[in-house]
Amino acid sequence: MRRIIDTIIEKVIFSCGTLSVIFVILIFSFLFMESFAFFKDFDITKFVTGRYWYPDSEPALFGILSLIVGSFLVTLGACLIAVPVSIMTALYISEVVSKSVRDVLKSLVELMAAIPSVVIGFIGMIVLVPCVRKLFNVPTGLTAFSGSVMLAFMAMPTMVTISEDAIHSVPWQYKEGALALGATKWQTMRRIVLKTARPGIMAAIMLGIGRVVGETMTVMMITGNSSRIPHSIFEPVRTMTAVIAAEMGETVKGSMHYKALFSIGLVLFLITFLINFVADLFLGKNKNK
Amino acid sequence: MIKLNPKLSQKFSYLILFLATALAIMPIMAIIFIIVKNGISVVNWEFLTSMPKNGMREGGIFPAIVGTFAIVMSTIMLTLPTGVCAAIYLNEYARDNMLTRAIKLGIVNLAGIPSVVYGLFGFGIFVMFLKLGVSIIAGALTLSIMELPVIITTSRNALNSVPYSFREASWSLGVSRWQTIRHIVLPNALPGIMTGAVLSIARISGETAPILFTAVAFYVPHLPHSMFDQVMTLPYHLYIISTQIPNMPNSIIFGTALVLLVMILTMSFIAIFVRIYFRKHRKW
Amino acid sequence: MVDKIKVDNLSCYYNRKCVLESLNINVIQNEILSIIGPSNSGKTTFLRALNRMNDLDLTYSRRGEVYLDGGSIFDISMEDLRRRIGMLFAMPTPLPMTIYENIVYAPKRLGLISKKSEQDALVERALKDASLWDEVKDRLKSSAMKMSGGQQQRLCIARILAINPEVILFDEPCSGLDPISTVKVEESMIGLKQKYTIVLVTNNVKQASRVSDRTVFFFMGKIVEIGTTDKLFVSPKEKQTEDYITGRFG
Repeated sequence: MRRIIDTIIEKVIFSCGTLSVIFVILIFSFLFMESFAFFKDFDITKFVTGRYWYPDSEPALFGILSLIVGSFLVTLGACLIAVPVSIMTALYISEVVSKSVRDVLKSLVELMAAIPSVVIGFIGMIVLVPCVRKLFNVPTGLTAFSGSVMLAFMAMPTMVTISEDAIHSVPWQYKEGALALGATKWQTMRRIVLKTARPGIMAAIMLGIGRVVGETMTVMMITGNSSRIPHSIFEPVRTMTAVIAAEMGETVKGSMHYKALFSIGLVLFLITFLINFVADLFLGKNKNK
Repeated sequence: MIKLNPKLSQKFSYLILFLATALAIMPIMAIIFIIVKNGISVVNWEFLTSMPKNGMREGGIFPAIVGTFAIVMSTIMLTLPTGVCAAIYLNEYARDNMLTRAIKLGIVNLAGIPSVVYGLFGFGIFVMFLKLGVSIIAGALTLSIMELPVIITTSRNALNSVPYSFREASWSLGVSRWQTIRHIVLPNALPGIMTGAVLSIARISGETAPILFTAVAFYVPHLPHSMFDQVMTLPYHLYIISTQIPNMPNSIIFGTALVLLVMILTMSFIAIFVRIYFRKHRKW
Repeated sequence: MVDKIKVDNLSCYYNRKCVLESLNINVIQNEILSIIGPSNSGKTTFLRALNRMNDLDLTYSRRGEVYLDGGSIFDISMEDLRRRIGMLFAMPTPLPMTIYENIVYAPKRLGLISKKSEQDALVERALKDASLWDEVKDRLKSSAMKMSGGQQQRLCIARILAINPEVILFDEPCSGLDPISTVKVEESMIGLKQKYTIVLVTNNVKQASRVSDRTVFFFMGKIVEIGTTDKLFVSPKEKQTEDYITGRFG
């Protein structure tokens, strides 16, 4: 009896173990099927390179180039802010301060990850957007730049935590070796620690980018939702995620528009799949050392 | 180029690193400060327990609180057992083969899929294909798939922290693998698993994109009666009143944000304290 | 003189590298058999092959047979086998629970006991047999992790006695203990000989000479010499054995 129960439970555990693979495959095939149907009716090159997203016009235009540019611009801006700040923060937390301060600072940084994206979007709307409008003297503060700033804050927890882990796991012998040769702590950090921790830091950056690319609510609230290709970072943009979130509710199931949104979902899926795959390779490289 | 004195250069760089750290933790402080300062005046018992009135410009947020609670609880009840089982499989049973590698890759990628894509998928499969409609259950199923990789990863770390010698000791007494897991590994991993679960609850409470088309409604005049009802939730309500309703009084928006924030921060703090407590009072 | 365990041409491999080569050994009922030899000579691998603890290691493979009371140990389930062949590890491995719970843990899981009175009796008997009862009888409900190393090791012995095995394997049980604790563990070992068959792996040659009936000398995964302890220590047949027990190498 005991043994039969054990076997049944072990079967259940095994099935749960395989669920994650099943879900990934299920999500992919679901997106793929809808997209495949879409590309039968709409040319895939026109989809990727088309400049205009007018799903309601006659004939409807489903070009996502402006959305790709929008996502790219917001992500790039966020990275330019978040990457240097995160690496420096990780260095400071891991190498400069004492252990107890380290725990407090790390918890504070992680706390930021718990703030819902709507709250961040709302704060961005209230605080940042008017500032941007006045400071840069642009017609609206709902710009790619505003999105980049808020998303940078959202990417920092991921980037800081994972690069801090990487920096922290640099063997102390490496550091002592350099210090014994008369290098200052800062020189050691710059030349030895950062170099050794590089794969982990790269993974941290990739995962942070993954989070930014997929972020929806914040960008929908503060980037202006204009599907034109912008000329600068101080113009409104629209990202792929925002289009799905904004338009999915209004589409009719099975319509071209519906399938087009799934195709955007597939593009997002593939982009984040790639980013995470690369991040995982970096992390694996770090572990093998 | 001037060669700086190494000591001076170290001091200067430390200052820069300190400023970067300040910049990284400033937003969280600022967000909490702004929301508390502007929202505290409207939050009272009535705000928490009454229905919205006058196109949500007046009244409370009771249905949104109930809706959030319903969705979050359903999600965690679905995802926690499955996630823990998956973690047990990976940590205690899995051999190093193709399947295990596929599962690990699956978890990594599941964790990376954007939340709005989960929303799309949930809408397609649960709302449309399985005909559950826009409902608590459809939203909870969508969220539970999204949260699965997080639960698996935190639970796995918790299981992994239980020393291997405990397992060996139990096996050497003739106790089977499952019995060992059930009576030795799981009880000792429980604090870690629970910490992860609480953090997941906090995260789910703030999610909007995955339930945008699977569970929520702009306004529901009554509380949910069953798992197949649409609901209002706090984050979605916050999104609506801050972007879709003209002439919305700011104080109510801040009040709603404050309630959401307090809920999430409380849970995060609980998780952090539980973690610190059990690290200090670990039995081994 | 009944053979309790018979090892027939057993070879063990890790990552296809041979660590034990074609062993033939028999363990006689109610004897203490010591296995001595320098480190990395395969002593522990041999011990763990007897209750199939190695089988959980994925890089492990073996050839040959081991018989317990004439039946192959590979024909019964690992759980049943380990219930019959208990094992004590080099480091004390108390489970993170009270002293009392440590002892009733396995019997409960195996369904050997259920009633509270049975449990109490079992705990007392097991602790007495492991000569630990007097030291801990007043604090059975305190955590086992708080005991001293020697007490923990004897608790682990008591825990094995509670499932009433036929054979007990000791894997360098005193390597982490001070001399006084070592004497206590050795005393309980000798006391156990009446009821159980014991295989002892030890790095301590003197310990082997003190407690065991027969001694085997392992070197590089092979048996160099086997014989009664008196003979092996007084007049070893092989030069290597003599060098090892007189401390010339190892």
